[in-house]
Amino acid sequence: MTAAIRSELLKIRTTAVPWVLAAIAVLIEGLLLLVIFLSRDNPFDSGYTVPHTTQQLRNLLGSGFEGYLLALLLGVLMVTTEFRHKTVTTSYLTTPRRVEFVGAKIISGAILGALLAVLMLVVALVGGGLTLSARGGSFSGLVHQIPAVVPGFVLVFVLFAILGVGVGSIITNQVAAIIICLGWFIILEGILTSLVNAAYKWVPTGAAQAASNLTRGNHNGNDFTLFSWWQGALLMLAYGLVFAAIGSFLLSKRDIT
Amino acid sequence: MTSAIEVHGLGKHFGAVVAVDDLSFEVAEGRVTGFLGPNGSGKTTTLRMLLGLVSITAGTATFGGRRYVDLPHPVRHVGAALEATSFHPSRRAEDHLRTVALAGGIPRSRVHEVLELVGLTDVARRRVGKFSLGMRQRLQLATALLGEPEILILDEPANGLDPQGIQWLRTFIRRQAADGHAVLVSSHLLSEMEETVDDVVIISQGRLVLQTTLAELSSKAGTSTGMRIRTPEINRLATVLNAVPVYWRQVGPDTLVIDGATPEWFGPFAAQHQIVLYELVHERGSLEDVFLDLTQGFDAAHPLEGGSGQSAPFQAPEDAR
Repeated sequence: MTAAIRSELLKIRTTAVPWVLAAIAVLIEGLLLLVIFLSRDNPFDSGYTVPHTTQQLRNLLGSGFEGYLLALLLGVLMVTTEFRHKTVTTSYLTTPRRVEFVGAKIISGAILGALLAVLMLVVALVGGGLTLSARGGSFSGLVHQIPAVVPGFVLVFVLFAILGVGVGSIITNQVAAIIICLGWFIILEGILTSLVNAAYKWVPTGAAQAASNLTRGNHNGNDFTLFSWWQGALLMLAYGLVFAAIGSFLLSKRDIT
Repeated sequence: MTSAIEVHGLGKHFGAVVAVDDLSFEVAEGRVTGFLGPNGSGKTTTLRMLLGLVSITAGTATFGGRRYVDLPHPVRHVGAALEATSFHPSRRAEDHLRTVALAGGIPRSRVHEVLELVGLTDVARRRVGKFSLGMRQRLQLATALLGEPEILILDEPANGLDPQGIQWLRTFIRRQAADGHAVLVSSHLLSEMEETVDDVVIISQGRLVLQTTLAELSSKAGTSTGMRIRTPEINRLATVLNAVPVYWRQVGPDTLVIDGATPEWFGPFAAQHQIVLYELVHERGSLEDVFLDLTQGFDAAHPLEGGSGQSAPFQAPEDAR
């Protein structure tokens, strides 16, 4: 298994996928910081202050939270790229058991998802921290929020990367998998939860929000009720692993011709 | 001589379509086995079933008694070069080999050895998307050789190679067998393989037609397929031929062909009827003809009986001998 994971990490590293996703993550985090600071430069709002309350600082550090969609995409691409370029033939020859093939991707995806989270956090910390101190805010105040924000943030990225591998191993067509993922998270989930509010804590977004509360307290940007952080994390993990198990089974039935 | 690969009663159905049916054959160590059949005869499906890429509907396909998926570190036992398209275009040749080496627990130094072996050292850092078909074939071979396997499976490896490349491939395959390795190499052209293989497994429409040695198959070739005769008396010759049980057909204004006839029979026959001959050609079958005959005329309902109606064996009439 270790061999398969190391091979998997080299495989993904030698394609453009992780580098493009990393570039997008940095870009998005940069834009988010821009929005956070510019929106407070309202000349008509005399009460403007740089983020300074605990909650404001945590929101600043964790501003890239929705970047978990990039981790999801990473997981999806790790599987579907193999089918798009037919490299799956070589992968199966080296790792013939489908469970091991998917398992190696889950663990590598989790590692890369964590790295993606750390990348966004570093940009938020350095970019946000420097801007803060330039505007008379407290860099060290932001640094103090690291223990509160980072564990839940990284955990959610890891869980979404695993979910992505699960989805990709069921829907191996790259375009279809991406459209279905984005369709769910951007449109369908919102429609579903606005119709049935109680469903919110069960959908991946709600579960992820619960999981991110690991250390930053019960912050929740809306009125929906959530599971506790560990329940949310387990639910997300269950989604990922159940999808991956179904995917492994389907892959063991699917012929590579 | 032990079997490196054993296929027993192998079958594959895609829905109602039968791609491979009750196929059995063995591949011996230290020999090159040609896996031959026309395009669409089930060669690739069979090789992919052997390697666990296509699920098996019936029967077994094993390496020394074990299925591919049950081999520990399979790439160190079985090297497979399947098709020249399965590379990520933006991955460099060397990196592609390193991913396989890592997964198979093969030392990194081996990557450079195989690149050297197939002559790709100079382009090791080039992206595979820029490779020609011939270079991809070489990279496939390099991938197959990475784990120093004792069994090699090559699917149409000559495709896309230039004549020098094919010559190199032949030498390479022979050397593998000389080192005691078992090589199973598929092709739709027997002529491409006849200088390379020791044994042949011929399939058609997913069923075994014949498993034999090349020497045995060669003895079938070189036998008479017929006589081509040019004569100014074609009408009279036709009349006398109609009186004896032979298949003949006119192929030109003064030329006809008698299937399966030999000069030993036709010479005296022509003399007996005092027919003037301008030209008398004894047509002999090539190995390729035998192969085509076996595969094209193959009737799936009656395997191993072979033959076809068009070229039924000639039987000289008793009185003409």
